[in-house]
Amino acid sequence: MPYFSDADARTIISTTYEKAQGSRAVAAMLYAPEELAVLPPGAVALAFGVNHPVRHAGLVRGERVLDIGCGAGIDTLFAARLVGSDGRVVGLDMTPAMLDRARGHVAEAGADNIELREGLMEALPFPDESFDVIVSNGVLNLSTRKSRALAEMLRVLRPGGRVALGDLVLTDTLPEALMKDPTALAV
Amino acid sequence: MLRKKLFNVGFEAVATVDRRPFRLADLARYPLFPPEFLDFVRRVLPSELDHDIVQTVVVTGRRPISSTPRA
Repeated sequence: MPYFSDADARTIISTTYEKAQGSRAVAAMLYAPEELAVLPPGAVALAFGVNHPVRHAGLVRGERVLDIGCGAGIDTLFAARLVGSDGRVVGLDMTPAMLDRARGHVAEAGADNIELREGLMEALPFPDESFDVIVSNGVLNLSTRKSRALAEMLRVLRPGGRVALGDLVLTDTLPEALMKDPTALAV
Repeated sequence: MLRKKLFNVGFEAVATVDRRPFRLADLARYPLFPPEFLDFVRRVLPSELDHDIVQTVVVTGRRPISSTPRA
């Protein structure tokens, strides 16, 4: 049983990220310098993923990709470079302020194969079988309805489509005092 | 647990393809974890658990060619 309602969790996450300041500290931990060198500095500074799922997604030219919880767009931009002009990447995020930042970074990169959309991972605003691949980075762990979000991913993937999810997992039970803290919803 | 959730909703070929420790020092890089929370964690969490209680993973899976969701 989650300690937080959906509404509580969304409020905590949105209010935190809409005022987040970047530092490159996360990107430097997760990505290679040569990968970061080709991206807008703002997207690099505002990377808040927890791993590098695009590296494991096996993306090829022409594929349709959904990046759930795209934030300021670092993985969306990576994916767009890999699928090329014949492919398409949709970045989805629930926080308008982060989408505004992502729009700026997409424009700065000149990527014309990216679309940005506002929406929730538990109710993806796309028809069935819309995508070949879904990536997500440090986002599923923020949902209070993870199975619902995963079922939505299955729905919007074509048969044979793939997911690559970067996430945080616990190897043991946290003390209850920690689990009741609002920031504990991230793990 | 995450792999099991993917399997339960209907994904196949579910695998963990990357797994690394994620320590308190790593959490400190994120806006969701302010200093006061990290101080709280240090007080509550036995120090020996900091090395492996949270891990970062990449889990992959595939939608079967022919399937209906299990959940």
